[in-house]
Amino acid sequence: MTEETTQVKMEDVQAKADAKKCPVQRSLVFVEEFLAGPMCGKCFPCSMGSYEARVRLKRIVDGSASEEDIEKVNTISSHMLVASMCKRGKDTAKYVQEHIGSSEVAEHLSGLCAKHECVEHLKYIIVPENCTMCGDCLHACKDNAILGEKKKPYLSGYTPFEIVQKRCTKCGECMKVCKYDAVKLISAREMVEKEPVKV
Amino acid sequence: MSKQINLTIDGKQVQAAEGTNLIDAAESVGVHIPNLCYLKGMRGIGACRLCLVDVEGGKAPVVGCITKVKEGMVVNTATEKLQEMRKFIIDLILSMHPLDCMTCTKAGVCNLQQYAYNFEVKESNFTRKKFGYPVDEANPFIKRDPDYCILCARCVRVCKEQGTNVLDFMGRGVGAKVATAMDKPLQESECTFCGSCVDACPVNALLEADRWRKGREWDYIKNNSVCLSCGNGCDITVSSKDGAVVKINSGSAEGSVEKYICAIGRFGFESLSSDARVTTPMKRVNGSLQETTWKEALDLVAEKLNKADGKTGIVSTAGILNQDAFILSKLAAEVIKTKNIDTTASLYADVDSMKFSDSVDFDAADVIVIAGLNPSQWERTLPALDAGIRRRVSRGAKLIVLNSGNTRIASEASISVQADEALTLAQIAKALIDKGRKAGKELTDAVSGLSVTEDIEKAAEMMVKAAQPVVFCAPSLFNASRNLSLLLDIKVVAVPAEANARGVVAMGLTTEGKTYKEMTSGEVDVLYAIGELPLTKRPNVGFLIAQTSYMTDLAKQADIVLPAATYLESEGTVTGYLGKNKDVKMVISPAGDSKQHKDIFIQLSKVLGAALKETAEIKSANEVSKPKFIPFEKKKGLDSSPADIIEGTNASVINHSKLLWLKEALKAGV
Repeated sequence: MTEETTQVKMEDVQAKADAKKCPVQRSLVFVEEFLAGPMCGKCFPCSMGSYEARVRLKRIVDGSASEEDIEKVNTISSHMLVASMCKRGKDTAKYVQEHIGSSEVAEHLSGLCAKHECVEHLKYIIVPENCTMCGDCLHACKDNAILGEKKKPYLSGYTPFEIVQKRCTKCGECMKVCKYDAVKLISAREMVEKEPVKV
Repeated sequence: MSKQINLTIDGKQVQAAEGTNLIDAAESVGVHIPNLCYLKGMRGIGACRLCLVDVEGGKAPVVGCITKVKEGMVVNTATEKLQEMRKFIIDLILSMHPLDCMTCTKAGVCNLQQYAYNFEVKESNFTRKKFGYPVDEANPFIKRDPDYCILCARCVRVCKEQGTNVLDFMGRGVGAKVATAMDKPLQESECTFCGSCVDACPVNALLEADRWRKGREWDYIKNNSVCLSCGNGCDITVSSKDGAVVKINSGSAEGSVEKYICAIGRFGFESLSSDARVTTPMKRVNGSLQETTWKEALDLVAEKLNKADGKTGIVSTAGILNQDAFILSKLAAEVIKTKNIDTTASLYADVDSMKFSDSVDFDAADVIVIAGLNPSQWERTLPALDAGIRRRVSRGAKLIVLNSGNTRIASEASISVQADEALTLAQIAKALIDKGRKAGKELTDAVSGLSVTEDIEKAAEMMVKAAQPVVFCAPSLFNASRNLSLLLDIKVVAVPAEANARGVVAMGLTTEGKTYKEMTSGEVDVLYAIGELPLTKRPNVGFLIAQTSYMTDLAKQADIVLPAATYLESEGTVTGYLGKNKDVKMVISPAGDSKQHKDIFIQLSKVLGAALKETAEIKSANEVSKPKFIPFEKKKGLDSSPADIIEGTNASVINHSKLLWLKEALKAGV
């Protein structure tokens, strides 16, 4: 174990994970911070197990997971808890195990993230009723994902702004700048269910 | 004997010595605790976690490789929960290991394959990971394929423990890789190509370079034998297929510090089938050597020996077997009737040192003194001694180096005295006497005027406290070193440069007439030269008979060449430098028309009219004599260095195998 790896403490890892609300995000952040920091790599179950757990958790986050992935994370953490050499591996396993059983995790399989943190499960949309076409979001969007033209008072016939989902990287900047509550975060599934908005 | 501990493993009663770990204890009653990173003899690291076992009354499972036996312990090694966890670990490893057992050379001896089979993991249940590391196959000896590596660290630890210190981990966790410093190819590191890492690797990550499609383990016939390349005479396991040697591994017991062979022992076998081999008898006709028959050749040899009229000399290497040496000494004494018979052992060792060296258990030595020796893995001079000493030191033994010159091994020493060795030994004797050790008058008088430095004081202290101190000395310092055994219970071993020096001396191949040096400088008329002698120029003799396995420089200048079998083609025994008799097996049959040395001697005796018989019993070499005081002096005239002898006697092997690459690479300064 080198000096570097000892610098990040397990408490720091947990603090970073606890800053998230979604149980999947918490687990993933914990595992990722653990792998990047205090994981010493001395025993197989911990180093290989947490690596595999990260792969599975990432799948849950990006929406490509199936029930099997959650089950595997469960298996990994329960074995890691027993087989790991030291407390750090065991703590990681315990943390993941505490979170992976939550029903919120299972919801991710159907595209829901209750805490609105797993961006792949979310979409930013513009509520046409609220949009004043002020253009602030247009400026804020670094990805050129927002379509629309700033409204000029003497002209008519403008349509509200729209977010091109394929371009959107879900950075959330548009939501921050909107003064009219016109940018909304919804679950991906919700949008599919809704009827097209009439203007 | 250490204390015996009673415990129960899987319902079986086990008795094991105190300090034994659970894996070894279980193995003794036939219970195998799965493991991938454990190496017998070394401290466990508990990395793979496969050896986790339940101890009744314990809170959590413990690792079998580290946990020591305790009185009354009840151990369960295969509960359902443990097996499930092992399966999980194997499953994880398999997710990052190529699943190509069908073409893998290691199939059949791969530990991972075995465990996958045992735990029914057909394909990993986890995400397949692929690394795509480059394969290091730039050298002709060892192929490293990190994609197969399971990060068990066996190679790293073996390399570190024996002091070669080439391999280490780069990175950590799943992305770690076993690499040399700066991830250079092996030949650009300090690697000696001893191949200890190959023996340690449980999978296909480290392998002999040319093994691909040369058969797999189950195709081979395996024989335990001895390497006779140098004075260390290491145990080897030879795998052969279709009458040819395919590979050689170290054959010493698992966990022993002697489990080491060098590149010459491991890779020199290629020379067996090289065109440098002599496979038919040859005689000189009109100035050039031409093939002939055994009958003609032996008739000619007999005629010359008969005619020589007492001016016959026989010289041999000390790399022949006890049986060869025994019959040769009879041939000389009873048939040829000459006293001029000597071996290369006389170049570096006197009779006393070879006859009276002690028998030693290397694994038990806790204080090791090396006097006047400079073993080196890197130069391949007594490499196994170097590796063995470094291993003992890694396992807690203390090393004292006495040498008048610089030695690399001195860096491992607790005490290193760079001064005249005989004087230092005398000073140590003085220090021992000062500590109240009783000695005879002669010895006391001899050292009375000497001063003792702090280091020598400490060295003496160490020897006194040791349970089993051992001195490995140059044969020229044997008598001086042996004086120490008058003062304390210490074993003294003179280390010869050739594998069977102790044996040939015990079999009576010591001259009462002319010496090796005299004979090879032309003081005889007919010279019978046996083995690959360290000579390149024909001695000035009337007739030269060369009985050799290879067309050496000397053989090229001989009048008659008798093809002899190599040690891998001979059957018999040798007496190792540690005093143990070892069996040499005929692994493959002698090439072409070549015969074992002893068979040639017997044939020759028939032609000379006094048929010798092969005697079955060859008594062990060790003679016991009570040590008596001999002045502290370095014996003169034994000035051939082990390095020169080893190079000289192995020249044909080195020049006609891929070892030549190594020699050239070293020269090129790669």
